[in-house]
Amino acid sequence: MKWRLLLFCLFVLKGVEAQTLQLRLSHAVKGVPMVLGNTTYLNAAGDTFNITLFKYYLSNFSLTDTTGRIVRTASGCFLVSEDSVASKMISLKLPEGHYNSISFQIGVDSLLNCSGAQSGALDPLYGMFWTWNSGYIMAKLEGASPSSQLPGHRIEFHIGGYRAPHITQRMVTLPLPQTLVISGSGASNLSLVGDAYSWFQGISFRQLAGFMTPGTPADRIADNYQHMFSIHQK
Amino acid sequence: MTRKAVYLLSVFCLWLLIIDMNSHAGDPGPEYYTLVLPPGLPKPVYDFSQNPLSRQGVALGRYLFYDGKLSRDSSVSCGFCHQQFAAFGHFDHSLSHGIMGRMTTRTVPTLFNLIWQKDFMWDGGVNHLEVQPLSPIMNENEMGMDLKELITRLQGNKTYRRMFKAAFGTEEVTSQRMLKALAQFMATMISFESKYDSVMRKSPGVSFTAEEQGGYKTFQQKCAACHKEPFFTDFSVRNNGLPYLPSMNDIGRMQITNNTADYLKFKVPSLRNVLVSAPYMHDGRFFDIFKVFAMYDHGQEKGNTIDPLVKNGIPLSAKEQRQLYMFLNTLTDKNFLNNKELKEVMIVD
Repeated sequence: MKWRLLLFCLFVLKGVEAQTLQLRLSHAVKGVPMVLGNTTYLNAAGDTFNITLFKYYLSNFSLTDTTGRIVRTASGCFLVSEDSVASKMISLKLPEGHYNSISFQIGVDSLLNCSGAQSGALDPLYGMFWTWNSGYIMAKLEGASPSSQLPGHRIEFHIGGYRAPHITQRMVTLPLPQTLVISGSGASNLSLVGDAYSWFQGISFRQLAGFMTPGTPADRIADNYQHMFSIHQK
Repeated sequence: MTRKAVYLLSVFCLWLLIIDMNSHAGDPGPEYYTLVLPPGLPKPVYDFSQNPLSRQGVALGRYLFYDGKLSRDSSVSCGFCHQQFAAFGHFDHSLSHGIMGRMTTRTVPTLFNLIWQKDFMWDGGVNHLEVQPLSPIMNENEMGMDLKELITRLQGNKTYRRMFKAAFGTEEVTSQRMLKALAQFMATMISFESKYDSVMRKSPGVSFTAEEQGGYKTFQQKCAACHKEPFFTDFSVRNNGLPYLPSMNDIGRMQITNNTADYLKFKVPSLRNVLVSAPYMHDGRFFDIFKVFAMYDHGQEKGNTIDPLVKNGIPLSAKEQRQLYMFLNTLTDKNFLNNKELKEVMIVD
């Protein structure tokens, strides 16, 4: 209660400056909107597969304005999950201006992986924390594929690792197709599409159908998911 | 005009703040305190600034530690395996066991002086005291509990709502609060009051016997490089030459790092309270400390990753072994084993 009041006071004293940018996330597989469950997709190696779970962390958002100035938005981690509509809307506060690129990190900062019990999106109860080998699962994809040799033909990729040499956080920078104008009038929107097809470039489920520790295959998938996002501006 | 409005609003907020403060007047809030540690020790690794100890926080942690409700079928508490009289190891059990008769592949480690420890578990896989309890709580062979379900279970319990409020200001139960409270209690498990400590502090009237003194000399020559004073461990992971057991197939630290150089490496355990915390080794295969001496003397398996310090074995004569035993006996801290503040509490609901 005290906090909220203090924030309110600060807000009043500072004046209304920060505007809201709504990021709308959606997911696809090779351009086709992702549907969890029985919908079948094809990976680059020609394996058919379906997806039952798809979630990942985003953090450290910043935008670059047309003068080249980098504007960091408030810190914080966001857990995006295909099965949660609310998680696919991210509100960022930033000052009025003209922006032409956006950057963010897929994953959780290494420091937050080794600083003890966390709260909010980083609460371990979301199943994105390894208890036996401490650290966050940066991104998770589960499903099944007839090519998988695992029990039930499952595919299970829990990608994490924050310590060298196996680091799975990746920075993403995307130029905006057109200059984004943030002004006092009206909310601004950006649509971000995450395409799971990119995860498995060069990977066949015959050889690798699951990976759930830090390690080289995880690094490779992280190199792949670094390229999963694209911007759609209207 | 704007300035006036801002001024008025600020005054209004200040007034609200004062009212807010007054409404808590009857509630003393958590009573914070600083742990008193023996002089001469290095600074703890654990950062108390992020989780200041309070009387209520430690009490909550202690209650959680001894509550079976933290396990799926309410049968296994932390204290079930971590018994105070065994220096919070598990008396007479080589492998730790959990709900519904399940069993793990490792022995229960002792718990004390944890605030100096940089990582946890036999393979050092857990990187912070606060997240350590998640491992046994969620492991299906130990307490087998779903974390979300556990938070709901505690939130629905009147005693916990009261205790969380006392420790953290509101009745809200979160995993972070639960883990911080457990860390607070575990932080108070300090063991530096053995006979050895009295001798080192030159307490009047306390000295080693000739046998103990002889054992201390042997210890310093042959053991102290890894079991470094004053913690009696250097907190590292090493392959001490313990033979690999195919039936257990425990590869140690390599499971965490995927690095073949870490094959069969396990944490160096502290030798404090060692004689009350049998059985020994990561899999509890030796119930007798003399079996451990014998292993170092002539029973090692010398694989690629064996530690250079023990790769030639540690020859120990019968006399040295006897004296070493007498010395290790001086590392038993009876005040710690009987510390009333750490004793099991009755869980009433």
